[in-house]
Amino acid sequence: MFSLSSVSKRYATTIALDRLDLEIASARTTALIGPSGAGKSTVLRMLIGLEWPDSGEVRFDAELLQRERLLEQRRRIGYVIQEGGLFPHMTAAENVGLLARTLGWSRQAIAARAHELAELCQLPIDAMARYPAELSGGQRQRVGLIRALMLDPPVLLLDEPLGALDPIVRFELQAQMRELFAKLDKTVVLVTHDVAEAAFLADTLVLLRHGSLLQQGSARELIDSPNDPFVHQFMTAQRSLADLA
Amino acid sequence: MRRVLILVLAFFGAACSAPAKQGSVVIIGSKAFTESVILGEIASGLARQADIEVRHRRQLGGTRILWRALENGQIDVYPEYTGTLAQELLQMPDADFGALRAALAEKGLAMTDPLGFNNTYALGMASQRAAQLGIHSISDLRGHADLRFGLSNEFMQRADGWPGLREAYALPQTATGLDHDLAYRGLANGALDVTDLYRTDAEIPYYQLAVLDDDRGYFPSYQAVYLYRLDLRKRAPGFVQALNGLAGRIDAATMQSLNARVKLERQAEASVAANWLGIDAPTRSGRSSRIWKRTVEHLALVGISLGLALLVALPLGVFAARRPRLGQVILTTTGLLQTLPSLAVFVFMIPLLGIGAKPAIAALFLYSLLPIVRNTHAGLSGIPRELRETAAAIGLPSRTRLWRIELPLALGTILAGIKIAAVINVGTATLGALIGAGGYGQPILAGIRLDDIGLILEGAIPAAALALVVQAVFEIIERLLTPRGLRLAARQ
Repeated sequence: MFSLSSVSKRYATTIALDRLDLEIASARTTALIGPSGAGKSTVLRMLIGLEWPDSGEVRFDAELLQRERLLEQRRRIGYVIQEGGLFPHMTAAENVGLLARTLGWSRQAIAARAHELAELCQLPIDAMARYPAELSGGQRQRVGLIRALMLDPPVLLLDEPLGALDPIVRFELQAQMRELFAKLDKTVVLVTHDVAEAAFLADTLVLLRHGSLLQQGSARELIDSPNDPFVHQFMTAQRSLADLA
Repeated sequence: MRRVLILVLAFFGAACSAPAKQGSVVIIGSKAFTESVILGEIASGLARQADIEVRHRRQLGGTRILWRALENGQIDVYPEYTGTLAQELLQMPDADFGALRAALAEKGLAMTDPLGFNNTYALGMASQRAAQLGIHSISDLRGHADLRFGLSNEFMQRADGWPGLREAYALPQTATGLDHDLAYRGLANGALDVTDLYRTDAEIPYYQLAVLDDDRGYFPSYQAVYLYRLDLRKRAPGFVQALNGLAGRIDAATMQSLNARVKLERQAEASVAANWLGIDAPTRSGRSSRIWKRTVEHLALVGISLGLALLVALPLGVFAARRPRLGQVILTTTGLLQTLPSLAVFVFMIPLLGIGAKPAIAALFLYSLLPIVRNTHAGLSGIPRELRETAAAIGLPSRTRLWRIELPLALGTILAGIKIAAVINVGTATLGALIGAGGYGQPILAGIRLDDIGLILEGAIPAAALALVVQAVFEIIERLLTPRGLRLAARQ
């Protein structure tokens, strides 16, 4: 669905991406993982045209990502950030319906679609009338997801979607999201710093370091046959309660 | 945005090309001091006598403004002094009257013969004390080295003031600088012996001062005359004849007493002038109707200038936020406009917009730009990056982003900028009186000129009240317009 070929990007003195080649398969869930500064967020932002490569090219559905066609391309992609990225001056319903309204959808069509998605994302329907400040962190996240799914885009991009949630809500949402991804059959790309979450949600992990691809494969592959000592180190670096025993 | 700009330019274009005056109305100007206003009223009285429709634009802020207005035909007549004409306006310090008339004629202007008094600088003493010491002329001062001189600060500093005078007469005394009004009181209670004065000051007879003879002819001549536009001879021949008929009829003592009736006896200039001419004074409106009229004028100045500023400054601020590099140029330019002194802006505007409300509105418009542009820019650039990016990333077109996301989020800051502009505008609009725009500045200016606190307050109190009302109105607007979601977010 996405392909990056020889993409480089630098910010002042730091190199964010260094001639990166990457293929992201469609209809699968891919998690970008890696230490801080590895370039995983930069990759995600490039997929939706918030960043542009200094050199190399980014293709979406075999087409070059172009500034002139960006609006149309972006509407085929759903985008969710931490906390949902909701506009604070609009109710959840207004947030969700904004783009559809701009595109001329009828009020009924918007309400029906929002209703359907609220059910799918397990958001209580009365929450749609509230402002972001009146919603819990988990609810905000769900509204963000509903907004992203409104036009039924083939692609969903998620930047640290569960980053700001407390562990219990996060645990719950992880399970629901996995179920949702399975139901929706979309190309999902997400960035997370939590290896366990990545392994839980994604079919394919992409481990980046210093702006380069270290290894791409299933969680099992990365653990069983790491092609670099760092891959092994990174995949096993997280502490679990089992360590205490 | 381009459409808005064209609209504004069209408005100013229309304002520029509009005929400066209607039909055959004669417009008289006067400077912001009592003698000039009285002479302006005398000219108005003569015009009324000749059955000519007349309008007196009284107490305009300074020689430059009147001169430019006369040159541009915004006014037809104003009283001037030959010294000022020769030295400041025509810059021909040694020219005789013939040369001055010729230079005026080249500009389409003319002057009457001198009215009969010479309002030059002079030195004065309490007449009793002068008589005691036998002092009649400035030369006589030389023999009294212990006399105490208290001179106005301006006179102390002008090269043709005290320094030159001292040299010309070889005076042995030293002088201290002080306020003119204090000097009169100092002479009255004997704390001072000599001060500078204008030859026609109302205080001369009131404090019983002796004016010392300038026996070496040091002070230049400041003969009072009327300057008028040559085309007036065709438009109102009878009036020009009447003006010229005033030549030699007002001597220094007459002018002193006319000044005194206004400044010391607090009579209205128009009635003093009419009385002297032996005609009926025009009826004067009551205080509440005066305040009402000025409120309307003031609100028009503030409202129109602020409205135009909104049309221009909001798009400019949006543009500045979207194009940071050009934005810096815009912010710097509007900042520079703010530093221009209002009087300079007025003088600059006269050829374009004449005198009256238009140049004042233009100046207020320029001064209103900075707070609005800057706050619009600050409000838009202050929106959290992730919100701006999300708005773009979910595929909203840029117009929707601006109107539905960015402007509502920046609204609080933008409204604060408009409020600042409006409140400053209410205060600055009082300066419009300097260029004949009316408003609350009119009584303030007259009050300062006449040293009348009551009159000053008649303008200052409504101006302050209006500023408070404007502030309150904007706070209500702010409350009504702030979306509930933002109020909730702010509370967290």
